[in-house]
Amino acid sequence: MSELVPFLSSVRWQDLVDVTLSSYILFRLYFLFRGTHVFRVLIGIALLWFSQRIAVSLGLIVTSWGIQGITAVAAFIIIVVFRNEIRSVLQAKNLKSILWGFRYVSMSTPVERIIEGAYELARKKIGALMVFPGKDDLEEVVHSGIPWRGLVSKEMILSIFWHDNPVHDGAAIIQGDRIIEVGAILPLSRREDLPSYYGTRHRAAAGLAEATDALVIIVSEERGDVAVAKGTEFDVVGRREELARILRQHMGLPLVEEGYPKKQILRLGIAALASFLFIAGVWFSFTRGMYTLTTLEIPVEYTDVMAGMEILDTSVNAVRLDLSGSGALVKSIRPEQVKVRLDLSKGVVGPNTFNITHENISLPPGVVLKTVEPPTVEVTLDVPMKKELPVQVDWVGKLRKDLILAEAKVSPKRIRVVGGAQIVDGISTIYTEKVPLDNMHETGTMTVGLALNPASLQIAPDSDDRITIKYTVKKRVE
Amino acid sequence: MKRKPFAYLFAVVCLGVFLHSHAVAEKNEKASPAEADEKLTLVQAAMCEGIKDYNPYNEAVVFSRTIGKVSCFTSFDPVPEKMFIYQNWFHRDRLSTKIKLFLQPPRWSTFSSIQLREADKGPWRVEVTDQGGNLLHILRFSITD
Repeated sequence: MSELVPFLSSVRWQDLVDVTLSSYILFRLYFLFRGTHVFRVLIGIALLWFSQRIAVSLGLIVTSWGIQGITAVAAFIIIVVFRNEIRSVLQAKNLKSILWGFRYVSMSTPVERIIEGAYELARKKIGALMVFPGKDDLEEVVHSGIPWRGLVSKEMILSIFWHDNPVHDGAAIIQGDRIIEVGAILPLSRREDLPSYYGTRHRAAAGLAEATDALVIIVSEERGDVAVAKGTEFDVVGRREELARILRQHMGLPLVEEGYPKKQILRLGIAALASFLFIAGVWFSFTRGMYTLTTLEIPVEYTDVMAGMEILDTSVNAVRLDLSGSGALVKSIRPEQVKVRLDLSKGVVGPNTFNITHENISLPPGVVLKTVEPPTVEVTLDVPMKKELPVQVDWVGKLRKDLILAEAKVSPKRIRVVGGAQIVDGISTIYTEKVPLDNMHETGTMTVGLALNPASLQIAPDSDDRITIKYTVKKRVE
Repeated sequence: MKRKPFAYLFAVVCLGVFLHSHAVAEKNEKASPAEADEKLTLVQAAMCEGIKDYNPYNEAVVFSRTIGKVSCFTSFDPVPEKMFIYQNWFHRDRLSTKIKLFLQPPRWSTFSSIQLREADKGPWRVEVTDQGGNLLHILRFSITD
């Protein structure tokens, strides 16, 4: 309890928005993609990632590499392989339905359509076998079925069992709202107590019902009645309401059709809660996990210098930031995510001292600034001005002992420079780069550049930056 | 910052040199009104390794530190009256020393020197000004190894 209060007080409103928004996005993804292959694959990827973390923690090098590789390309695979399903989900719905819609899409068996289909077949005396699997796997007992995967409708049922349809003799297996197989061959019952007028269709229905927990609807071609087989029971159902009750009971559906089934509401509620808990867990591990410290050297960006002024000098070009946060966050910080900006709009000509505060530093969410070193920055601002300066040669080295450098004429004699007024005011000469004397034995000419000191000093665009020196070497008089 | 004399043992030697024997003090004192209006004029200025026979020798723009000293020689003609000039020695743009030199009419030559140290290497200039601070001439040179 004593730890809960400081924890709650440290939670920002941004964190609440963050978790709520992310949870809702996750929940919406579940809602939009539930029942599709994409969702199953996403769950698979999540399991892969989880396995990879376990493999890493156990030190299984090759396994973790392998799973990591698969997980890395999985997102790409999903987009490529399931592009049609993703497109159908996103295209079929408008923005409102993507963001807000909770339209109930029945994934359960459309009982009314089946009943209508069955009694219509009976009325027309068209024989039919419809299998509704329970929890048992039918693969072992049902053979030769042709995959169909069509949505259940009265018309579809009628067309499957139409006399001229090649699959009309077999059984149709109906799961959820789809006919998954047609033309399926069911095992025949060997019971002796079945009425003698029951033909192969009825025996097949009885055989499957005995062998599994599936429910089978039989439409008699001779008598035009509808019967239901489940377990060892075999009943002719004359009333539609009765058949609806039997089917709903078998499928675990409420006996009365509801607008939005409680089971669905419960499922969505669980999904919403799971989304929230998952995101909260991720958020907690990212922001409230093990605290880690790191130090970054970040260059200072000087902004909003007043018009007509320029930065002459700064005490530092970069500051050292001590940052803390959860291990995952701190490890993922890239220097370019951290900015230190100093607003110089209030600076004046001359030296200015600026404190570096939290407002000057932008950090990734969840990362906390501990200290800044140095906490202040000296910035010297100045107004740029032009000045014409005489040029002087900066000779270095040693001339031969018997020689003297009697004269040196420079061209141009003066150069215009641009720099801060305070700097330029203190300069009365501009020097050439260092010119060595060591190999000068006779009169000659050379061209040299200028040494700009300080570096903020610049040669005016209309001025020459190369200096020609005509020098005269003479013999020394002893 | 002004260069401290004891710091680098500079020697300033002020010598009055009469270049022509016929220019005597009495005559100067009885100068005509036209001569009295004459303006101080610098007729020669040079950096040199030394002064010999009242003249600079080995005039140059580069001096090795190993020669020990460097001199700034200036010659004025006419000198209208007793007055003084300054020779301001700058190492780069920093005033190193300011030397006051007296002049006597009608002509006068004078010089100042500095002793050279390791730290004196680099570009120098000497600004010659009259007693009112008006710039008469700038001499530029370098001290090297």
